[in-house]
Amino acid sequence: MAFPGYGAGPGAAPQQDPLYGYFSAVAGQDGQISADELQRCLTQSGIAGSYQPFSLDTCRLMVNMLDRDMSCTMGFQEFKELWQVLNGWRNTFVSFDRDGSGTVEDHELQQAVTSMGYRLSPQAMTCIVKRYSTNGRIRFDDFVSCCVRLRALTDQFRRRDTTQTGNASFQYDDFIQVTMSI
Amino acid sequence: VNSSEWKPSPQSPLYLICVFLPRVDKDRSGVISDSELQQALSNGTWTPFNPVTVRSIISMFDRENKGGVNFNEFAGVWKYITDWQNIFRTYDRDNSGFIDKNELRQALTGFGYRLSDQFYGTLIEKFDRQRKGQVAFDDFIQCCIVLQRLTDVFRRYDTDQDGWIQVSYEQYLSMVFNIV
Repeated sequence: MAFPGYGAGPGAAPQQDPLYGYFSAVAGQDGQISADELQRCLTQSGIAGSYQPFSLDTCRLMVNMLDRDMSCTMGFQEFKELWQVLNGWRNTFVSFDRDGSGTVEDHELQQAVTSMGYRLSPQAMTCIVKRYSTNGRIRFDDFVSCCVRLRALTDQFRRRDTTQTGNASFQYDDFIQVTMSI
Repeated sequence: VNSSEWKPSPQSPLYLICVFLPRVDKDRSGVISDSELQQALSNGTWTPFNPVTVRSIISMFDRENKGGVNFNEFAGVWKYITDWQNIFRTYDRDNSGFIDKNELRQALTGFGYRLSDQFYGTLIEKFDRQRKGQVAFDDFIQCCIVLQRLTDVFRRYDTDQDGWIQVSYEQYLSMVFNIV
């Protein structure tokens, strides 16, 4: 089910946005959702298609990815952003899951990551594959978890690569907090 | 004393070997596996002890990569767990059996970490498997183990020990994907 892409521009009221239905079904009065609520919301929306719904751990990662105020919750705008990104990742995964098994093979994960624009050495790729592969295959939920981490880590790294040379400096306390938040 | 009825008291060092360990080693293999250790440990709730933490502890003391610990290595495991129990009791000031955000801040500050106030909320959110907003004994250990691993990897790169590292993108990814 692709994002409609019509209607609701930035100025439109949230209530007119088709995604708002899913969001408001689980959000409380504060208009924010936690990782548990995100899990319910995504499951109900069917964005995972025929794949297994997301684990709580992956949902927590997704909340953290967009959590700019460190509140451990997500508002509607962030949810919309997530939706678009998730659709993109889902489409990438589907294009590599040629046998429709719900999993991709290790080398297909490498190809998928490269197709998303990341240029990684074989060693870095090996680390990543090792982290997510079970018996030579990677499930959709793990793929999303991988994508979230890659995106968040790359983001954090870029912010600290002030000279844009591909090298970043981390102070210890900052390193701990950034890495644990991902 | 009738020798067949004698049992060492729990305070005696022999208790571990003669009474406790045989109970833990259910299949009598002489090696305590992950699942046997998991069954022997309590996190203060009725749910099983965090299996990831069990794996971390076993691998810390398993010198032969056999996927378990023998009785010698188990002594190390036992001291490790007991030390953590003492730390946990020290910081669980209200004796709730859980460590809340404030108690976690005190514990980690006591260990020497300097972390922002909001970050403690992130830590609880990340490690609290009971979904209580506080960490049980096993999740507390897990949190500390991961913090320690990150510190170790940081130190390896911080060769001049000034609290700063400079890493390439690739190095950064490898460091982190191996741990969290």
